[in-house]
Amino acid sequence: MSNNSILVVGGGFAGITAALEAAELGYEVFIVEKNPYLGGRVAQLNQYFPKLCPPSCGLEIQFQRIKKNPKVKYFTLSQVDAVSGGPGNYSVKVTKQPRHVNSRCTCCGECAKAARTEVDSEFDFETGKRKAAYTTHLFAFPARYTIDPTTCDKIELERIKDACPYDAIDLDEQPKTFDLNVGSIVWATGWKPYPLEKLTNLGAGKVANVISNMQMERLASPSGPTNGRIVRPSDGAEPKRIAFVQCAGSRDENHLNYCSYICCMASLKHVRYLRERYPEAKIVIYYIDLRTPGRYDKFKALTVDDPNLSLVKGKVAAVAEDAGKNPILTVENAVTGIKNDEQFDLVVLATGMQPSAAGEKLPAGLPVDEEGFIIGGEDKGIVAAGCAKLPLDVMKTAQSGTSAALKAIQNVVGR
Amino acid sequence: MSNPVKVQPDLKFVQELQAVGGESLKKCYQCATCSVVCPLSPQDDPYPRKEMVWAQWGLKDRLVNDIDIWLCHNCGTCSDLCPRGAKPGDLLGALRNMAYRNLAAPKAIGKWMSSSKYLPLLVAIPAVLWLVIWVIRAAQLGTAFPLFEADGHSWKIAEQGAVVFGGLFPGDFTIDPIFVLTFFTMIGIFVAAVRKLLASFADLPQVYVLGQKERPGMLAAFIDTIKYEVLRNSQIEECGDDPKDAQRFKGHLLIMYSFIALMIVTGIVFVAHWGGYLLMWLGAPEGLIDFVMLTGHTPMSLVNPVKLLANLGFFAGILGLIWLTGRRMSLDKAKQGSSWYDWYLLTIIWVIFLSGFGAQVFRLMGQQFIAYPTYYVHLVAVWMLFAYLPWSKLGHLVYRTAALAYAKKIGRIPMGPRNK
Repeated sequence: MSNNSILVVGGGFAGITAALEAAELGYEVFIVEKNPYLGGRVAQLNQYFPKLCPPSCGLEIQFQRIKKNPKVKYFTLSQVDAVSGGPGNYSVKVTKQPRHVNSRCTCCGECAKAARTEVDSEFDFETGKRKAAYTTHLFAFPARYTIDPTTCDKIELERIKDACPYDAIDLDEQPKTFDLNVGSIVWATGWKPYPLEKLTNLGAGKVANVISNMQMERLASPSGPTNGRIVRPSDGAEPKRIAFVQCAGSRDENHLNYCSYICCMASLKHVRYLRERYPEAKIVIYYIDLRTPGRYDKFKALTVDDPNLSLVKGKVAAVAEDAGKNPILTVENAVTGIKNDEQFDLVVLATGMQPSAAGEKLPAGLPVDEEGFIIGGEDKGIVAAGCAKLPLDVMKTAQSGTSAALKAIQNVVGR
Repeated sequence: MSNPVKVQPDLKFVQELQAVGGESLKKCYQCATCSVVCPLSPQDDPYPRKEMVWAQWGLKDRLVNDIDIWLCHNCGTCSDLCPRGAKPGDLLGALRNMAYRNLAAPKAIGKWMSSSKYLPLLVAIPAVLWLVIWVIRAAQLGTAFPLFEADGHSWKIAEQGAVVFGGLFPGDFTIDPIFVLTFFTMIGIFVAAVRKLLASFADLPQVYVLGQKERPGMLAAFIDTIKYEVLRNSQIEECGDDPKDAQRFKGHLLIMYSFIALMIVTGIVFVAHWGGYLLMWLGAPEGLIDFVMLTGHTPMSLVNPVKLLANLGFFAGILGLIWLTGRRMSLDKAKQGSSWYDWYLLTIIWVIFLSGFGAQVFRLMGQQFIAYPTYYVHLVAVWMLFAYLPWSKLGHLVYRTAALAYAKKIGRIPMGPRNK
């Protein structure tokens, strides 16, 4: 029995775009998203390219489209366990983890007030804390709290439940497994930041004031853990000397053996974040090559016209820390041939994008390259989109989502 | 550009470099990770990033006059962390191999030493030399595997005698003249090669250190180098920080002290033996002559302190060899290669140690048919070690010492102990 509906795995920018494009052409679409929210990595950014919009802007439009279109159904906290069947007739096994909060939730926040135990916030990349009852960010969609029962003890959980004025909390909710029958699949599982722990010569994530570029996004975000104040994690002080370490793990056969495409631009964007807040701060970008593809070159030209910003060719290869928790970078300036130790208040590592599926075996035998990027599957009726396929910016991710939607439709039409 | 520089690449040189172990140098994209992670590289003009770009551009003049290849002690940290697998450590190794090949005259031997295909020729020279001596002596003695008993200060054939290497290959007119001649020829070749090496550094900039009263002279720099870099292997100790590097440091130190022990043994035997003759010629008292001659008399008792030192040296050397060979065999080939120069040196030292110890064991067992051939192999291998030394990796003993001393003199590296 053939089926015209489409499954989109991953509810980030690529997945949402693919789902909406297909749904608006009349196809039934299911989005399966691992996180409690849709919007993926874009939701974690402060501003995104090309126009430095806050993510609430672009995503809000997408969420409105989802809400208004009955053809789009989404499952958060859900993952695909297995795919069987073939093009036109897939049977997909999905497991949905319990949110413990039902649709009566109004995001009043009483549950979070009742919660006490705090753990590192995954959404904020450990730059902030969350409780057992939490929302990840202000414009989270679906607008509903999540309860993580592993975070605290039973007594606290009961207190959280009792605090809800709308009886929206169900602590007994169990994981649910169900099957979806679809004709085509879009695989848009996106990317994850390359782990700092693996960058042993860049502090391995153990130096307090060395943060990743994604942590920088959370610090800069007005709805982030510091309400948009970019400060040192160790003492909350305002940094006066900031360094960016490009290719932290990218273009490196020991880590990610490819260019992650957007990190150079991300660092230049971060220079703008910093410049807005600290007009006098001294900033250095250490790079191998500054890669500013296409029209981004203009952005670079405007950003580097700044007497307090210097660009140094040379990759940082050693990170230490002094008694004042100031990071010390060792780098050879490849132009002058001088190797120096430089002290900074805050260092940002421009870590790259690793496909989320790296190291995992994908259902339906999707072929991946040695880095974990999907390199085929269209013959099987499965279309990869976004950063699951290759490192991209948001604009190109959206384009790849649209293109995947068309291919997915071609897979189901006329069957 | 206001001041254009036209690069004149020597493409043949680039190919030569790639052939002697620098094959992946073209992968380098000049990120300078290598210069930073190198535990020995100085702050100004650190290596090996600059060598990588010189090699890519074929700037032969810069590379062949580069003192920094001798500052590198090849721990491989740069290659391990190189994001491109460009193996900068191998490039510096390849440049040293080129120096072994080209510094000493005649260059023909340098060519023969550069590739395994010439090994049969290199073996054949001493093999024939010692075989001819063996054949002549066999004709004189009436057997190629003679047994001897003592006859005053010399040996005579005896049915029930013992294996005596000095009986078949008498020191006075075979071993000693040949090795003395070989040794001093080698020294002469080294003197010329070191002059050439130091002359190549003449254009290097001098580093002036603020507050430094005066620059050390070459002699002071040389003594300082012997004291720290040579006798303590201080640079190898600092070079690299994983367990394999510590194993390399200990292995190198053991082999070096093993050689020093064996050199002392050889020195005692040589000085006592020829010193005895000298005393005789001077007409010294009989008792003194006997005492001196006896000190250097071989074969020695196993409990003779000199013999003990020799065997202690053997075991130390074998342990060092096992560590160094084990480490080299376990190297990740994707990160760090091994060249013919590396394997030649390890192999020749293995052969010398095993044949030397084997000859002693077979001699004590009275197995003349195995003992003499083993001793013959030992003579061939020892001769190869000394005769080809200026063109082998062991030449670093001289070239590196000279280069480090010069580097101290010009301030490229500091005098005295280095702080970790």
